[in-house]
Amino acid sequence: MDMAAKSQDQMVFHMTGKRAGDGLGAIDVGALRPALLAGYRDLTRLRYDFPLVLPESCAGPAYVHSLSGIVNALIEELAPRGLEGERLRKHVLRVEREVRAMVGSGATGLLSELWASTAERLGAGADETVGKVLAQVGDSLTIDGEVVDCGPQLATRFVTAAWRHAQAQKAHQFQALVDELVRKLSDIRRAAFARSAAGQQPEALAASIGSGHADVFDFDVMSKLVARGAPKDELPAARRGRIEWALAVLCAQPFYADPTGTIADDAAYDFAFDNCAAAVAAYRARLPHLVEVVKAIAIAELESSGAYVEIDHDPFFERYDENALTADDLALFPDYLVSIPAERNDAPENAGLIEMLSSGLPVKVLVLQTDLLEEASIGTGHFAFGVRSARLATTAMGLGGMFVLQATSADLYALRDRVARGLSCRGPALLSVFTGSPAAAGDLPPYLTAAAAKESRAFPAFTYDATAGTNWAARFSLENNRDIDADWPVEPFEYADEALQRVTAQVAFTYADFVLCDRRYAPHFAVVPRDRWNAAMLPADDWLALPEGKVGDRIPYVWAVDADDGLHRVIVDTRLMQATRRCLLLWHRLQEHGGIHDSHAERLLARERAVWEAEKQQAQEALQKATATATTPAGGTEAAGAPAAPAVAAADAAADKPPSDEAWIETARCPSCNECQNINDKMFTYNENKQAYIKDIDAGTYRQLIEAAEVCQVAIIHPGKPRNPNEPGLPELVERAKPFL
Amino acid sequence: MATPVTRCIIKLHEEHHNLEDYQGGVPRWCSGCGDNAILAAVQRLCRDEDLAPERTIFVSGIGCSSRFPHYMKTYGFHGIHGRAFPIAEGVKMARPDLHVFVNTGDGDCCSIGAAHWIHAIRYNMNMTVILHDNHVYGLTKKQASPTSPIGFKSNTTPRGAVLEALNPLTVTLGVQNASFVAQGVDWIPDLLYDIVSKAFKHRGFSFIRIIQRCPEFLPKMFEPWLHDPSKTLLLTHPNGLQPSAETSRIYKNQREHDPLDIHRAREIASTEDPIPVGILYQNPDIPCYEDLRSAGTPRTAERTRAGLEAEFDKVTIWPEDGRTQQRVA
Repeated sequence: MDMAAKSQDQMVFHMTGKRAGDGLGAIDVGALRPALLAGYRDLTRLRYDFPLVLPESCAGPAYVHSLSGIVNALIEELAPRGLEGERLRKHVLRVEREVRAMVGSGATGLLSELWASTAERLGAGADETVGKVLAQVGDSLTIDGEVVDCGPQLATRFVTAAWRHAQAQKAHQFQALVDELVRKLSDIRRAAFARSAAGQQPEALAASIGSGHADVFDFDVMSKLVARGAPKDELPAARRGRIEWALAVLCAQPFYADPTGTIADDAAYDFAFDNCAAAVAAYRARLPHLVEVVKAIAIAELESSGAYVEIDHDPFFERYDENALTADDLALFPDYLVSIPAERNDAPENAGLIEMLSSGLPVKVLVLQTDLLEEASIGTGHFAFGVRSARLATTAMGLGGMFVLQATSADLYALRDRVARGLSCRGPALLSVFTGSPAAAGDLPPYLTAAAAKESRAFPAFTYDATAGTNWAARFSLENNRDIDADWPVEPFEYADEALQRVTAQVAFTYADFVLCDRRYAPHFAVVPRDRWNAAMLPADDWLALPEGKVGDRIPYVWAVDADDGLHRVIVDTRLMQATRRCLLLWHRLQEHGGIHDSHAERLLARERAVWEAEKQQAQEALQKATATATTPAGGTEAAGAPAAPAVAAADAAADKPPSDEAWIETARCPSCNECQNINDKMFTYNENKQAYIKDIDAGTYRQLIEAAEVCQVAIIHPGKPRNPNEPGLPELVERAKPFL
Repeated sequence: MATPVTRCIIKLHEEHHNLEDYQGGVPRWCSGCGDNAILAAVQRLCRDEDLAPERTIFVSGIGCSSRFPHYMKTYGFHGIHGRAFPIAEGVKMARPDLHVFVNTGDGDCCSIGAAHWIHAIRYNMNMTVILHDNHVYGLTKKQASPTSPIGFKSNTTPRGAVLEALNPLTVTLGVQNASFVAQGVDWIPDLLYDIVSKAFKHRGFSFIRIIQRCPEFLPKMFEPWLHDPSKTLLLTHPNGLQPSAETSRIYKNQREHDPLDIHRAREIASTEDPIPVGILYQNPDIPCYEDLRSAGTPRTAERTRAGLEAEFDKVTIWPEDGRTQQRVA
């Protein structure tokens, strides 16, 4: 059988997606997975970012910790070097593995609880002291909080924790501001009372002294004395009214719960929502109150610094309303968190979302995406590429003036600083997160699905931060994608061949590999038996690298492994390869946003290179021509450049030389020492920088000019030539002037 | 004035000041005194930064230069000898919103006030300190100061000063938490202004030593430097001074120096000839004492009362032993 005949059924499958005959096998949807995922069958045995611990308290510097990181810190602190420490390390790592397994199988709870139960279980099954030691280690945990694995709920909990942390910092700053203002306004009121007639009554004076020494004083006499000498500056009614109004508004503000209990937690507004309409409605309803608080803060600041001027500021505050609010004003208040679950991620919600984002409201929106491989709504079997969320993120970028992050849940911990930045930035933020495929897609762990989505460029990570700089290069980042210069990330893959020899291949992870993880799209693949592998088969990434017109009879395949780690080549049909090519085009667009393979820059570079080469060529030709003719003597070149030096010298000379025979002062060097003004303050005066210049040369004599030049310690007065030829003693003065000309 | 609305309101109605608005009394310094140049530079700074006079204070000790507050139409505190720093620190602690300047002479700062000076550097409170260094006690008619050169004959050293002069720059750079150290000379006014401006904008204890002439008691002291620009070394850097073309034309002896490099700064500070002029050291990351102390908690009457009660409770002898202690709520 020649090669063409051997691969004909493969070509038929590739072209039509239909298997003809029994030469090709349907893939075992439950067992086959991309070859590069072969090493990740049991995630509980790996130490990696997950599970995460989300502290309940917002007081710490971090809003999330990795379990591995916590355990590492524990080991470093508690396990001594040597055998004893090695045993402890082993036991502690075992607890970590057990906790990871428990959480992976659905257990929930605080880290302290999970640790305690694990330590007890391990202790029961072995040496009793092991359980005690591990319990003691658990007591040393300085971080506690809910333990969360990379599952469907992770993104919501993670972003909520980050948002709470950011809001706690805002609350702290706001409370400090309000406390300070309340204290200052109260001080004004207290001082006013002390100066008032009521404050100078014997009873008020007795209360101000306290009970300790009350018997020592005669408050009736004291009242008469203080009333006699006290200034009569009672607080004007208008000012008292303003201060009391501001105090009342600030003390009752409902935007932040007051840690002192003045405003109960349940009386404060809630800022977390699960849809845009509810968030916008709440924002609108609270706006008048927000305006009041902003006004109260401004009035309190002006009053406490004595800067309130009624004639200027009363009209301003009368007209002050919600239209005058700026993003800076809104930044004082909590941001609204809108977590849109995947099932609500539909067209009407998205329309409301875009409108809300474009209006610049202080909202932080989390959009969850669970299905990147859903079919397009037109129902032609085309892949939709998670177009809903991808479109959201890129549309939001187009709106400008906000923070946009796209990431998978597997990357959230690595991107925790960026998430925090997005949630603490001024203005709106959109976080579009892929959390793993739906149940119908298969039973791959959500972490692997999410990681595969990013690696395959199906859902690449990027951030756009409008506040990070003035240009696109500063604002847009593709960091955290692997091999960002390349089309696909490439990993070394080792396997044993038929002769059981180690073979290392460089394997790319493409969009087709990602689709292979999803059992709904199994019909797009066909397994080729090893005896039918042939030279026409080409790895999918190499196949895509060929120009479309030169694909010819080449058939793309991806590497896959079965449940027993047997290696297979799986060929891919045209429709999926078209989708893979489209995915690549979208990735190229993102690369250009990130300045990688920027077509404009490359075109410009090519043009400049062509110009440079042409100039270089011309210069070489001119040089050759000059050498050949050799008619100009060697000094000729120097002669051509010679005028430049005298020109510079002339410029220097011109700068040093006085502008004319008129008297003048190097004003910029004047140290304001008054010497010249003491001689004649009509002739010499100061400019706006308090440096001397000659204001009126005719207001004094040439002799005074000479005297001023002589006493000036920095020698910046130049007397010029005498203006009056009849001035007495002129020859002597001219002689004295010479050093200063 | 932290919030945007307040800033906007203030801006709408803010008053702008001219240099004359900062001029207080007529200076009584001698003709040709370098203090005049410093006064002019500081008044320019106040005008250019539009400092509210009622929010600006100049604190001084005793000496010719310490008359400075009288000549500024702002708040001022003409203190006692050597005590300008503790007064200024008290002002800053009580009113962190004020712009605090300290004017001190070489005797006031480096002799009787040396202990306060050292600790003021370490505290790194946000204030601008100008050391008017004319190398002599002028107000009391010519006595040797700590910075007088060796051999200087004065009323207190008739056979000439026997000690090597103290170098205020190296001392300052040797103290922990030094965050801004610069040197200027009164006879290059544009650089003097730039240095004062940089110092004012630095958040922390900005120490400027200004070498100044005393035409009465040391009239010839700086003549070589006045007449030979090459004896002045300008320290330039994008984060430091960037002299104008006119200044560079005259003062061609320039060296680039990164103000973050403290080792190089110490080396340069030890140089006396040529006189280095510029920002020797600036580290914006050193915390200010007032920030560390306040920690964001306002001192309310209630908190003060609660703190005092807690302290008193520690030493309270309760009326009857064995009874449950009752705390005042």
